Amino acid sequence: MLELQGLSRRYGDVVALDDLSFTVRDGQMFGFVGPNGAGKTTTMRIVLGVLEPDRGEVRWRGRPVDAETRRRFGYMPEERGLYPKMRVRDQLEYFARLHGLPTADAERAAGHWIERLGVAERAGDRVEQLSLGNQQRVQLAAALVHDPEVLVLDEPFSGLDPVGVDVLAEVLAGRAAEGIPVIFSSHQLELVERLCEAVAIINHGRLVAAGPVEELRSSGGQRRYQVEVADAGTDWSDGLEGVTVLEKANGRVVLAVDGDEQRVLDAARAAGRVVSFGAVQPTLAELFRQAVQE
Amino acid sequence: MSAARRHDRTSTWDGIRLTARRELVERTRRDRAFLISTLVTLAILFAIIFLPRLFGAGDPKEFSVGLVGGASQPLGQVLTAQGQAIGVRLKLQQPASAADAEAAVRDGKLDLAVLDGRELVAKAEADEQLNVLVQGAARGVRAQQTLERAGVGQGDIQAALAPPPLPVRSLEPVDEDAQSKRRIATVAVFLLYGQLIGYCVAVATGVVEEKATRVVEVLLAAVRPVQLLAGKIIGIGLVGLLQLAIIGVAGLAAATAAGVITLPPDAAATIASVLLWFLLGYGFYSSLFAVAGAIVSRQEEVQNTTTPLNLLLVGSFFVAFSTSLGNTDTTLSKVTSFLPPTAPLVMPLRIAAGDAALWQVAVSLVIMLVSIVAVVILASRLYEGAILRTGARVKLRDAWRGARRQPAAGRA
Repeated sequence: MLELQGLSRRYGDVVALDDLSFTVRDGQMFGFVGPNGAGKTTTMRIVLGVLEPDRGEVRWRGRPVDAETRRRFGYMPEERGLYPKMRVRDQLEYFARLHGLPTADAERAAGHWIERLGVAERAGDRVEQLSLGNQQRVQLAAALVHDPEVLVLDEPFSGLDPVGVDVLAEVLAGRAAEGIPVIFSSHQLELVERLCEAVAIINHGRLVAAGPVEELRSSGGQRRYQVEVADAGTDWSDGLEGVTVLEKANGRVVLAVDGDEQRVLDAARAAGRVVSFGAVQPTLAELFRQAVQE
Repeated sequence: MSAARRHDRTSTWDGIRLTARRELVERTRRDRAFLISTLVTLAILFAIIFLPRLFGAGDPKEFSVGLVGGASQPLGQVLTAQGQAIGVRLKLQQPASAADAEAAVRDGKLDLAVLDGRELVAKAEADEQLNVLVQGAARGVRAQQTLERAGVGQGDIQAALAPPPLPVRSLEPVDEDAQSKRRIATVAVFLLYGQLIGYCVAVATGVVEEKATRVVEVLLAAVRPVQLLAGKIIGIGLVGLLQLAIIGVAGLAAATAAGVITLPPDAAATIASVLLWFLLGYGFYSSLFAVAGAIVSRQEEVQNTTTPLNLLLVGSFFVAFSTSLGNTDTTLSKVTSFLPPTAPLVMPLRIAAGDAALWQVAVSLVIMLVSIVAVVILASRLYEGAILRTGARVKLRDAWRGARRQPAAGRA
């Protein structure tokens, strides 16, 4: 279990993180979302010890994380970091050794991930000679090569083609299945929703919401309904008492309803032939927008 | 507790060793620039050594002298003998007439013509050395003839005109290798300067490279800033040292083979001293260059931040170079051989020239070592405070304040 407890960090007068706490369980795919500048990268840098917090601490398996523990973490920074002139295999072996692997293990691990991520035929090339997509694969391999106990990835999916996204998602799911906490940030909320068991949403350095995705979606006092009435347009729902119109599109309306939903159904039937009427849960994107606006 | 600490120390050295090894391997085996720059430096060195010989410098001077008329002939033997004594070769000719001789002088076939033992003819101004030689010979011949006419015996004439040379008593021991030492010292100053500036700039650009490509973030997740800095400086320093050793040995061997210098008996000590002072100079400057690299984010900016350091090195070089041209035992060279920024270039020169007393070398070494420790402590804090700040150039004051607080958890 990776615990972030009361992390605060300022850059001069700017508050980057303000008392941020959340927990990532073993084997959990954990999405970390928030608008640009919310403090995601700062948080990840603190977890990796690249940056020190002003207050608060990070605990792994119940103990404060020190330099020795951090060497067993895997990290993929948002702005990719590789030596452009170093050869792929050399580079991965170097990172593995830097993380404490003996030479033979480092060579084996580099070979394995080069193979696994499909860059085997470029293993002897300098990184700068690779396409951006392949560089990203090497970057991922650099985060995985020392068989880390914890994976922290900053925007790992940005810039990948759909095939690359699938490969990466598969690899990450595989790591999580082995009991490793996998925490990654992303702006692709549909992807986060699809892959992650739990998320944390932050804004202005503060935690806005955290927990299993299902819980977040079903929480909140209002229930939502999507209604489609044939040939009646969408204006029939205007002005209903206790009802907030969330969305109107293609003859469908999404409504947040306080209390009894049957009177909404009555109003719909009065307007025309009801094609569909069903409860819907908010998407992560909607939760996100809501959270960020508040 | 002690086991944990030992483990931590091992990994500290591992981090330094691995980053140093990467620099060494990438810069020698994986990068042709090392081979090329070594060969270019050697080529320049060989050019300095061999070119003067190809153009005949160092060969004895040679003059053609025409002797016209019977009265000029006695000069011949004297001239040849005296020329040999001072290392000048004379080719003597006998033009048929004064007119022929003048024509030959005009054409440059003769450097000087002697007409009937009474007049010298040169094209324009006579070569000074040749003039002195011929005038002296003429004076000797005239004196001999005068003495002969006065009836002085041949033995007395010889005793008067060709006395045995006066012995010379030197007040200080003669250093037969002095010239060789000076030549080696001058070349050493050039090499030291080139290596220092080259490899210190390599440190600065290496630091910026890691910062600009953000690889530093991946690295700092595995090693501490001070390990990264130490590994980089040590690795690049070893490359510089290796190159300097190759050039030094090859250069001395070539120069000895060409006969430009005679290898002094303490040549190995000279090389060792040059290598040592490279290390000291590199130790002093490299961490400062690392800071110059750490406070900027792009390769283009590093030129600006390294300028003050470059100027300091260039200034030291000029002090050392001007010293190497003249007397190495001046007040300027004595003072600068104790000051840390200049000592790495000036002191090895004084050592090579044989001017520096042992105590002076020792004092300079101590000053150097103490200031290296101070500079490295200062620089590693600045480096740590600046290395993760991207964007605008980091002010040194901010870097000093921004140094990462020591992780309390790691020490507990």
